[in-house]
Amino acid sequence: MNEIPDTRHSLLVRLCDRGDQQAWAELLEIYEPLIYRLARRKGLQHADAEELTQEAFVAVAAAIERWDPDPNRGSFRGWLFRIARNMTVNYLSRTRPENVGVGGTGFRHLLEQQPAASAEEATFFGREYRREAFRWAAGEIRGEFQESTWKAFWATAVEGHNIKETAHALEMSVGAVYAARSRIMARLKRKLQQLEGR
Amino acid sequence: MMVVNRSCRRPDQLREFLDNRLTADQETALVRHLDTCSACQQRLELLAADVDDWSDVQEMLSAGREGQCDAAGGDTPDPAATDDRVDQKPSLDFLAPTDDPAMLGRLGTYEVAGVIGCGGMGIVLKAFDRALSRNVAIKVLAPQLAISASARRRFAREAQAAAAVVHEHVVPIHAVAEARGLPYFVMAYVPGESLEQRLERTGPLAVPEILRIAMQTAAGLAAAHAQGLVHRDIKPANILLENGVERVMITDFGLARTVDDASLTRSGVIAGTPRYMAPEQAQGDGVDHRADLFSLGSVMYAMCTGRPPFRAETAMAVLRRICEELPRPIRQINPEIPDWLVEIVERLHEKDPAARFQTAAEVAALLGQHLAHLQQPTTVPRPPRLTRRRRFASPKRSWWRRPALAAVMLSTLGAGMVGLLGIGYLTGLFSAVSDLPEDRGLSPSAAVGQAYDGPSEQQWDAEVARVQQTIHDIAVGWFQAADVQPIDTWSESVSELKHQIEGLQHELNDQAM
Repeated sequence: MNEIPDTRHSLLVRLCDRGDQQAWAELLEIYEPLIYRLARRKGLQHADAEELTQEAFVAVAAAIERWDPDPNRGSFRGWLFRIARNMTVNYLSRTRPENVGVGGTGFRHLLEQQPAASAEEATFFGREYRREAFRWAAGEIRGEFQESTWKAFWATAVEGHNIKETAHALEMSVGAVYAARSRIMARLKRKLQQLEGR
Repeated sequence: MMVVNRSCRRPDQLREFLDNRLTADQETALVRHLDTCSACQQRLELLAADVDDWSDVQEMLSAGREGQCDAAGGDTPDPAATDDRVDQKPSLDFLAPTDDPAMLGRLGTYEVAGVIGCGGMGIVLKAFDRALSRNVAIKVLAPQLAISASARRRFAREAQAAAAVVHEHVVPIHAVAEARGLPYFVMAYVPGESLEQRLERTGPLAVPEILRIAMQTAAGLAAAHAQGLVHRDIKPANILLENGVERVMITDFGLARTVDDASLTRSGVIAGTPRYMAPEQAQGDGVDHRADLFSLGSVMYAMCTGRPPFRAETAMAVLRRICEELPRPIRQINPEIPDWLVEIVERLHEKDPAARFQTAAEVAALLGQHLAHLQQPTTVPRPPRLTRRRRFASPKRSWWRRPALAAVMLSTLGAGMVGLLGIGYLTGLFSAVSDLPEDRGLSPSAAVGQAYDGPSEQQWDAEVARVQQTIHDIAVGWFQAADVQPIDTWSESVSELKHQIEGLQHELNDQAM
């Protein structure tokens, strides 16, 4: 995605903490394909969906300007992911997606609303978000494990193969397969928790 | 009831294992214990994540959309797409019963685990081969197409031919068989998503990826063409991207022919989506391997823009567009695509097969060169541009589309740019007003009309004529002022100048937007 113009520099100045910058980067990685996909699903053409995605990030970046680092409000990361979630869920509940408007003003309005979507939209968003987050997390942690360990996890936990047969196919012991899948699963879960600052 | 025996590990040790805090010896001992102790196996799993997480992981990460056949991605409102689905929920009555409670049924010696997808021709199942202990994908011909004995024979014959193609970018076919009167063939199971699913998910791809995927597809096609096999149904849904390595695997070879005859004789309607079909195919003419190249061009278009090149309300309208119209210029939808790539797609998209690249191998080689140059710009030379045989289609359309802009540009230019325009004019950049032999194309207003089918077409005519006249006057004036060499010797500098004009035009377009 193109750099968000004009906000990038001031944003980096604002987010002097490296952890905060990382949180913003990870938000982009997850929400960019997510919002794009949701917008397409709403019937927008590619160019419009891209533009909408940009606007969403402009709105969030503007909200960051108003972020008040108050220890009682929890971490920046947690706050950031929460507002992005609220905004996107609110967007989903609108029937006319193109009414959101240019320049991010429409999105800013959505940010300030309390989440008012129906349970159905919230659930739908939750699943789509989780799908994107899982994909991202799996990509991030994959390099930490050996090939055979990863295969053992993928074959049994994702593709649902029988554990004994997988062990046989990969020439590992059954215990090793159990160890592999649980370890990677735990790591995945931790990565997801870290993502949202929990 | 879990049996706790002496060697069972305390929960905190399991926790330590998950946090990587055990010594190597302790780990080895634990893993050995896990070989047999089901209590500890379950405890470990629940410590790692709760039950919902485990089922989530399966749902969220398996990209093959296993389960039911639902419309891919949901809702691009395109009725032509529904032609692709035979049934929303396929009936699996043809499966034999199985002892394994986790499986849906049996087909031959294979245990069927689930449905991967359905298409116009049949159903693709995911199955487990007990004999060889591996996953396979089974494609079963749709029952309504399998009634005629000749269709079944043809299906088997095509599958045999496809099985003969052995290539790293073609899904290998293991077996062809028949069960309960239904022919099916067994392929390797390729975990991963199709290019169609990928484009649904992320939209247009980056240039290096487009090159890589197209190159691998072309290589697979070359192998099949060498065996005398034409795919006939190249489209993003038939291009699989293998998990993890993102290697291209082409599937569904040679089968479109089986369907054409069977379904055409029955209802006169073409089954399956024709959006990626070649014009000669759509017209029912003789088809050779170059039809696959047209389809490859359409696939590349989809990778560049995120949508297929020819879309319409009905299948028939799509076919008409394929035969008679040019798709919307790539750079209008995605300006980041470089012109050399647009040229390659346009060459593949020539209506006349003789005007396209003639072999998949040369396409693969060319794409490979471009990819190598992109990855190592300093050491690998950039491949030469394709020689243009016809008029310069897309920028001209955008140029004429904004005649007001054109007028502004003219008025702010100095003599140098006027000279550029003049040369551009004379060498066919604005070809309708020139007499150069290769430019017997459409007039600008007709080109605009063709692309934009809209009521505003008439508005442009007057503007277009005015700008044409202005340029003509300028060019005449310029060439009277200088000694001019014959046009042929200008060709090198002309393409340079054309480039600059395009660049300027894009800048102006961007600023105007």
